[in-house]
Amino acid sequence: MAPVTDFKLARAGDVALVTIDNGEDWTKPTFFGERALESLERVLDELERGDFAAAVITGKPFFFAAGADITEFPGITRERAVEGARVGHGLFGRLRMLPFPTVAAINGACLGGGVELALHCTGRTISSAVRHFAFPEVFLGLFPAWGGTQLLPRLAGPETAIKVIVSNPLRQNRMLLGREVAQLGIADRLLEPAEFVDDSLAFAGELVEQGLERTEPDWSDAELIFRRARTAVDDAVHGAAPAPYVALDLIEGSREWAIAEGYRREEEAIGELLPGPQAQASIYAFHLVDQRAKKHPARPTAAPRKITKVGIVGAGLMARQIALLCLRRLELPIVIRDVKQEIVDDALSDLRAELERQVEKGRYDEGKGRFLAALASGSVDDQGFDDCDLVLEAVFEELELKKRVFAELEEIVTEDCILATNTSALSIADMAADLRHPERVVGMHFFNPVALMPLLEVVRAPETGETALATAWELGERLRKRPILVQDAPGFVVNRVLTRMTRVIMDAIEHGTPVDEVDEAVMSLGMPMAPSVLLQLVGPQVADHVLERMHDAFPDRFPLSPALSALAAGDEPVVLEDAPRTRVQVVEEVLEAVADEIHRLLEEGVVAEAADVDTCLLLGAGWPFFLGGITKHLDQIGMSERLFGHTFADMSAAAPA
Amino acid sequence: MERREVVFIDGVRTAFGRAGPEGIFWKTRADDMAVKVVRELLRRNPQLPPGRIGDVIFAATAQVGDQGLTLGRDVALLAGIPQSVPGFALDRMCAGALTAVTSGAGEIALGACDLVLAGGVEHMGHHPMGEEVDFNPRFVSERLVDTSAVTMGATAENLHDRFPQITRADADAYAVRSQRRAAAAWANGVMRETVVPMSVFTEEGWRVADRDEFLRPDTSLEGLAGLRTPFRAGGRVTAGNSAGLTDGATACLLAAEETAAELGLEPRMRLIAFAFAGVEPELMGIGPIPATKRVLEQVGLTLDDIGLFELNEPFAVQVLTWCDALGVEPQDVRLNPYGGAIACGHPLAATGVRLLAQLAYGFRERPDVRYGLTGLCVGMGMGAVLLWENLGTGH
Repeated sequence: MAPVTDFKLARAGDVALVTIDNGEDWTKPTFFGERALESLERVLDELERGDFAAAVITGKPFFFAAGADITEFPGITRERAVEGARVGHGLFGRLRMLPFPTVAAINGACLGGGVELALHCTGRTISSAVRHFAFPEVFLGLFPAWGGTQLLPRLAGPETAIKVIVSNPLRQNRMLLGREVAQLGIADRLLEPAEFVDDSLAFAGELVEQGLERTEPDWSDAELIFRRARTAVDDAVHGAAPAPYVALDLIEGSREWAIAEGYRREEEAIGELLPGPQAQASIYAFHLVDQRAKKHPARPTAAPRKITKVGIVGAGLMARQIALLCLRRLELPIVIRDVKQEIVDDALSDLRAELERQVEKGRYDEGKGRFLAALASGSVDDQGFDDCDLVLEAVFEELELKKRVFAELEEIVTEDCILATNTSALSIADMAADLRHPERVVGMHFFNPVALMPLLEVVRAPETGETALATAWELGERLRKRPILVQDAPGFVVNRVLTRMTRVIMDAIEHGTPVDEVDEAVMSLGMPMAPSVLLQLVGPQVADHVLERMHDAFPDRFPLSPALSALAAGDEPVVLEDAPRTRVQVVEEVLEAVADEIHRLLEEGVVAEAADVDTCLLLGAGWPFFLGGITKHLDQIGMSERLFGHTFADMSAAAPA
Repeated sequence: MERREVVFIDGVRTAFGRAGPEGIFWKTRADDMAVKVVRELLRRNPQLPPGRIGDVIFAATAQVGDQGLTLGRDVALLAGIPQSVPGFALDRMCAGALTAVTSGAGEIALGACDLVLAGGVEHMGHHPMGEEVDFNPRFVSERLVDTSAVTMGATAENLHDRFPQITRADADAYAVRSQRRAAAAWANGVMRETVVPMSVFTEEGWRVADRDEFLRPDTSLEGLAGLRTPFRAGGRVTAGNSAGLTDGATACLLAAEETAAELGLEPRMRLIAFAFAGVEPELMGIGPIPATKRVLEQVGLTLDDIGLFELNEPFAVQVLTWCDALGVEPQDVRLNPYGGAIACGHPLAATGVRLLAQLAYGFRERPDVRYGLTGLCVGMGMGAVLLWENLGTGH
């Protein structure tokens, strides 16, 4: 339960000074729940009655306001959604109509409804220390429905409104810095943080004395701008999510509508959207990655081993990325080992070149770059591994090779050094079987590209000890990944689900469905990337290799694919039969296969609940929020009920907490 | 090397707040308060290139927490002064800010630098007196110091014992006058010029601290007579005739006289001489008496040559001992014309610069006055006095 937000009114001379405060420090966002709005109403009563020359509204230290309380959204009815928008419009509208100038002094994070509150003021100041200013609504399958779509284009023009309301949320919810907010003309003054409230009070005085000159927004190219924007939205969501389209319509409409009409349109649209499947799935997904993954219920409680040095065996693509991540996040010595000196040398020079690029970008100063580069060393034998606290292997995916690596390591490393494997599909129990200390072996499955993908599958084999598990988890957190605990089962979660899907796609291709058609079908679901593009990115050989591993485990559901083998060999995909599927069929088959595989891995207990599967797919495969990972969507379309007689949500509810 | 003249350009303070959770600065950091006064000085003196500042000297009695990290340096960086400008923290308890001024003056006089920011801050709410002090047991076992010396209120009671002619009624009468003069001062321009309003976050949201919280303009003798004496049963020292525990920050700009001329900064007064003196720790309040005498001897002036006295008022009896010893009437218009710490509060290490700023204002109001004196007593038995010459007229 979020702390209740109050609007607190004080008087500074003849200026009303209003603080948005939830009584907590900046780490607890200030939300506008129902009781906050009641508090705002009381303050508006006082502002309307009082003899003020101006009002300044600001946040508690380091935080302006994070907008609506989305914990009020799950399962909301159309009526309540409309009413929520109407109440906000009523209150913010009264703020806008106050008979004296009002200033929103944006002193910290300002999101969604916080931005809308600010837009209803006469003017805005923003601190140059602000790093989070955004309308994240479209990212959540919604749109700003407290006047945001109407006021932002009126203030800053259609291009800026589209950028802030539609484009940025679709670019991984990109946020604006204080400086950018001022440059875009959304804030009237960019102020230094040191005396921000004092200087904002002075700005309010200026408004009283001299008013404010603003240039009228430019609508001359509106038609072109909106056409381009719709094309960009098509490219991003392929029609699968309605929110960005609705937002564009509302922004476009603001040019013609009176403000009251604009409010009414927002209310109507939010009544449709908020209770709808995409918004509900997005809110579910947001909760998973924003709240649940940060304080995961499965986080190990054992004390992790203190890491002072990390060893990495293998110097291939994944190994290099992991090494770089360790250097940058841990700032600890790392040692890389491979069989050939030239491979090791190449990996090290790769690392150093990347660090130099970071120095050039100004991310590190020269000294820091030199320090980090000096932390990395290489070896072709045992040297440098005897004082590692954790060694991660990322050699070729072959069980015998990995077993040999671990057996050799066990001779060199200390008694309690953790041995981790980045395997994507092999059995960790098998890998550890012949070791003296199998309890020190744990899986740490990173995703490519390592720097960008937030997921880390932390794999527990039956013998994995608590310390090894806790150490892998904590290391993952220090590398700023989101660990999810999975049991030692073939393909874990992400590769298992993706490979099952790939197998269905290959089947369609093997039956003569054109690659373009398959791509279109999968994209129509809202997947971020066409399967053929994704396959090239992963590498057909890798995908085929993983399929082989999955085939070893589950030959019935993962038959080997002649088409994929052909692609892996650099040939055209093989067509076995001329029985092409329609797009609808492809979608149906993909979803059924995915549902079936998830259902199985949940029954096997690979992860504790569907929420973990969804988190994995959101953070490890980039599946969209508006599908809620995927199980939310499978529940929403009735597929899980039809296939299994119950929903995935039911399974979670029945699972032990 | 020739000694250079040191002039005072400008001085400001925050409003002074009541220490503790009820006070307006309770949720405000001490270093942020210091930053506020420093930035105000920079804003009010735009001719001053921040990079030319030679040192930033801040005094604090408690140098931990939000008053730690060698405050002057910390404050300079937080205030946006270039990294090339150094800074440091110092401590002489209540004479902290005055010592920051004499220290900075020394740097200027010797040619080490041209411009100095000097000030003090004390957040007595965050740092109660005696916090983390480990009193050496030798003080007691060897009777080096009477144990009452560590409790300032007890030293004030000691003053009444030592100077029995000063009664509680005298002290209360002095306190009433201090409150009256302060009330009048808030109505004229001195506080508008020397107090910078500061937005502060509080339990009730943001508020503007623009008025001293200890002001009691309606204080009466009758009201004071009824107050209890917390330091001693049947004592004479009360909350009404002493300064409360206070949060506040001050800062001033000092310059070499030639640098002020070069930059077009108006010099308000010139530092003529200063003296620190030691006295019995349990009678620390008498410290300013020998310090005053020493300063006058240094320059060959007599008390009659001095037209304004800005003395701290931790306790009314403390000022009265000084009046008594030097032959100044407590109601003399030269003495604390804008009231004193009894009315505005006394944030230990910060107070000194308040005295300077008010003296500079007094010099402007009284162009006929040539010399003025700022002084205060210091815990553990010391006194500090700085003597200034009015540059506002043609002296």
